[in-house]
Amino acid sequence: MSELNTQLRELRERFDAAVAAAQDAQALDAARVAFLGRSGEVTLLRRGIGQLPAAERPSAGKEINAAVELMEAALQDAEAALQSREFEAELGMRIDVTFPAPPAALGAIHPLRRVTEDICRYFQRHGFAVVLGPEIEPEYYNFDALNIPADHPAREGFDSFFLTGNLLLRPHTSPMQIRTMQQHRPPVAVVVPGRCYRRDAVDARHHFQFHQIEGLLVDRGVHFGHLKGMLTGMCRELFGRDQQVRFRPSFFPFTEPSAEVDTTCPLCRASGSPCRMCGGSGWIELGGSGMVHPNVLRNMDYDPAEYSGWAFGFGVERMALVRYDIDDIRRFYENDPAFLKQLA
Amino acid sequence: MRVPLAWLREYVELPVDPQRVADMLAQIGFPVDAIELRPVVTGVLVGRIAQLEKHPNADRLQVGKIDVGNGALLTIATAATNVALGQTIPVATIGAQLPHLKIERRKMRGVESEGMMVSAEELALPTEWFEDGIMQLDEALPPGTDVVEYFRLSEAVLDVDVTSNRVDALSILGLARELAAYQGTPLRAPEFGAFAPAASDAPGPRVSMDSPDCTRFVVQEFQNVRVAPSPAWMRIRLALAGQRPINNLVDISNYVMLETGQPLHFYDAAKIPDGHLIVRDAREGETLQTLDGEERELTPRDLVIASERGAEGLAGLMGGAASEVRESTTSILLESATFNGPRIRRTGARFALRSEASTRHEKTLPPVLSTWGAQRAAQLLRESGAKAGEPRVFGIAQPQTQEIAFDTRDIKRLLGFELTAQEIREYLDRLGFTVEPAGEQTLRVTPPLWRRDVTIAADVVEEVARMAGYDRIEGVIPAVAEHDISSNEYVLEGRIAATLSALGYDEVVTVALHGAQIFERMRRAGMEPTFQPVEVLNPLSEDQRYLRSALGPAHLEHLARLDTPARIFEIGHIFYRDEGQPLELPSAAFGFTAEPLQEPPWHDSHFLRLKSDAIALLRELTGRSDFEFAPDNRKGLHPGKTAAVLLDGREIASLGQIDPRLAKAFDLRLPAYGAWLYLERIPEFATPLYRPPSRYPSTYRDLALLCDVDTSAARVERVISGAIGDLCTAVRTFDEYRGAQVPEGKKSLAVRATMQRMDTTITDEEADAAIDRALASLRDELGITLRA
Repeated sequence: MSELNTQLRELRERFDAAVAAAQDAQALDAARVAFLGRSGEVTLLRRGIGQLPAAERPSAGKEINAAVELMEAALQDAEAALQSREFEAELGMRIDVTFPAPPAALGAIHPLRRVTEDICRYFQRHGFAVVLGPEIEPEYYNFDALNIPADHPAREGFDSFFLTGNLLLRPHTSPMQIRTMQQHRPPVAVVVPGRCYRRDAVDARHHFQFHQIEGLLVDRGVHFGHLKGMLTGMCRELFGRDQQVRFRPSFFPFTEPSAEVDTTCPLCRASGSPCRMCGGSGWIELGGSGMVHPNVLRNMDYDPAEYSGWAFGFGVERMALVRYDIDDIRRFYENDPAFLKQLA
Repeated sequence: MRVPLAWLREYVELPVDPQRVADMLAQIGFPVDAIELRPVVTGVLVGRIAQLEKHPNADRLQVGKIDVGNGALLTIATAATNVALGQTIPVATIGAQLPHLKIERRKMRGVESEGMMVSAEELALPTEWFEDGIMQLDEALPPGTDVVEYFRLSEAVLDVDVTSNRVDALSILGLARELAAYQGTPLRAPEFGAFAPAASDAPGPRVSMDSPDCTRFVVQEFQNVRVAPSPAWMRIRLALAGQRPINNLVDISNYVMLETGQPLHFYDAAKIPDGHLIVRDAREGETLQTLDGEERELTPRDLVIASERGAEGLAGLMGGAASEVRESTTSILLESATFNGPRIRRTGARFALRSEASTRHEKTLPPVLSTWGAQRAAQLLRESGAKAGEPRVFGIAQPQTQEIAFDTRDIKRLLGFELTAQEIREYLDRLGFTVEPAGEQTLRVTPPLWRRDVTIAADVVEEVARMAGYDRIEGVIPAVAEHDISSNEYVLEGRIAATLSALGYDEVVTVALHGAQIFERMRRAGMEPTFQPVEVLNPLSEDQRYLRSALGPAHLEHLARLDTPARIFEIGHIFYRDEGQPLELPSAAFGFTAEPLQEPPWHDSHFLRLKSDAIALLRELTGRSDFEFAPDNRKGLHPGKTAAVLLDGREIASLGQIDPRLAKAFDLRLPAYGAWLYLERIPEFATPLYRPPSRYPSTYRDLALLCDVDTSAARVERVISGAIGDLCTAVRTFDEYRGAQVPEGKKSLAVRATMQRMDTTITDEEADAAIDRALASLRDELGITLRA
């Protein structure tokens, strides 16, 4: 056995001992540097090859290379073993996943906005724009242009807050029908969410401040069936996919024919028994609707023989009460953080 | 309107179940608000008091022998004091079921009582509207008749909602007509007899029509009138319909009004000189004592019915005391008239007079109703023994309605479904319209005399739709054509809400009306309101007199109520007077309360948090990030912690700490911070363009600068970035120090300047040279030195 062999064996023994003793990646790396590094022991050994007789040099080189290969393999195994010990240690840790998480810093969107946005999104999907309008309106927009002349008995239904003899807080969003039609020629396709005011005493179902959402579609060939289609879709978006919508004849000066709109009570459906929300009738009243009155179209210089349209106006609070099963309209304006977080 | 079902059934065949009747009414546009079911009452018979004696053992009781038919005489004791021999009364027999009582055989002070004499209360009628004690029935009723069956007391009462355009249906007959049309069954209208008015110049009562606001006036004289209680059937019917029975004359006028829809008025004919009535404007200063005893000052805006001696009544509202029908009245003049509704409404509103009659008159009645009212009243008055004179008609002689040219294609055009011409004619015919063909697709449609509300083709479409049933309408999704109506404002609101909620603010919706307490709080903080508020002329209460001129005050109240740190935002309109005119602006505000921090007084992390949120929000709204924050002074904000946010030199938002004095006045325990946006000034979103980053490494230099306390970080950063020029990618102040380590009047700012080249790696020499330029500029422009 050559001297080189002896040296290599001895070196291997020390190397194996060092690798075996290494408890972490750092110690392992130190062993690699000490033996296989640029100025490590193997390099020193290689330098000795030059002093060997020329005939021995190739076999000596081979021997060293074979030894290095083995040592590198041993290092890799040791590394792998070390890594897997580390994983084992890490994977052995157990936390209590039921431990409460800190609350996310996400704010709540008000339920009235949620309902409004859901409705608007539905209508936008079908080509409607969403427009907003002023809350202070002159009588012309609130009444006259909507075919409710002074002294019309229907004005009584709008018990309004007046600011001057002529200006009032809008009791409905319908003035925006007029403003939109004044500014655009057909097709007019808009929904109008907004705040309204009426002189209603406050109780669980009434408030002097409330929100409405108005819809208006005017074009050639628009009929009542289109209104039913859109409202059915809207109710399904809002309350669930099985919702039905029905119309009942009614009277509004700015529509003819006119209809009250009801949708099936989603709460009764969910619970399977008549509920307080709909008084056990199984139907929820949403509000008024109808085909835009020819006088209103004429006021806007639209030819009622050429154009037809429909409009509706629903209470947002009403829909939110039903959607979230809320007992009292005042909750919407109390802004209790617990209330808001719950519905966010 | 209260509609006793029994009354309705008299004129139209209807399903037994009241709910089905209610459903039908709703189907044709008359929603039923309530169905009042009657309590179960059985075993009550008509009895005649055949004998009446004092109770042998009790002073306050009487014992009667009551004939209840079939020769049976029941012995019944009673404590009632209004009983007398020969009276016809309701008697509950043994086994009878009364609302709260079952009648059993029992002894009253030793006398076996075989039933009970019954009062209105036991028949579940409004007690206070009937005689005290035992109810009095008509003599003509045969003993033994079942009272509940005869008076149909078991039938429900519907509370029907009649829309304001359908005054023709604000009556039993009107609703019966609608139901008959819908069912396609005959209407069994009462036989009024012929209406044969005398010539209006014939001798007899006459009316001078001196105002265009009375279009028709039917007058008729009745003699041999005797004021007495009405028969039981009429009293019961009126009571169930919600009208208090008074006497035969008042009851007849109410009955006719409820049945036909036409309100009537009776004058004591003896009090009307020459039987001459005059419809005219009231005179300035004229007074009238109305039936309710009120002395009323009239103006020419009021319409009166007068005699030659003066006003005798307010047209359509209330009669006068002078010609009121009294016990002594023996002859009357009947008024059945048609007025201009708005005029009646205005006077009614001024005098706060509202009655069943005025609610009908103020909707302008169809003139034909005045004929029906007079006819029906004449019939009932004759039945009560009065002698009727001939009616006379003033004003419109023959009521008419206008013919409408109706294109049958309008059905499909407006409703979306098709009906045959035959169906259309059938429906209109049932409703009393006259229909004649007038062309291939056109019909000449004449509404019935009672339908003043049907004047255009769309009205006819609704009539046809009601009869066909709105359920025929089928839902379809419209294909909406392209249009250019913008949703920008709404999109902006949505962005605000989405961003602020993502930043941890809860959205609130506060009440837009408030009372003077907000101003009082401001004054307590030593502040006068900046704006003249918009005031409501007719508030419901003083707490809701003013429209908010800012969102903040309601938020401070809310945050004070919460009393724990909270973050809130709101989007809504604000209002103030500008040169006297109400002005309305969209606004958005957000803010928070937070525990105070242990910080040096020249640093406020809460403010910086607010600012950071404002930047995030504004960036999301505008697509820009070059906002300028300038120190500002705003009423309500801390004078040293207020900033105006400028974009392109325009102020788009304000923010700062709420003035502690104001916070105190709002009872806030915690420091509060707030920001608000001037939404109308927020520029449209500008889509930012992509600038590819340099592929070469950047380098930075941190500078500790000694500068005057008043020199703003923004100023320092601007000078540095200007001096470095194109190499500069960012300058950011990251620390500030004031205190013992720096000279008086100075502060230290730590600023990092980052530099980078697009084309190659920046060298240290380049960077150092740039920093030297920056330091030179800082020194020259702001007197800033590097901190030793």
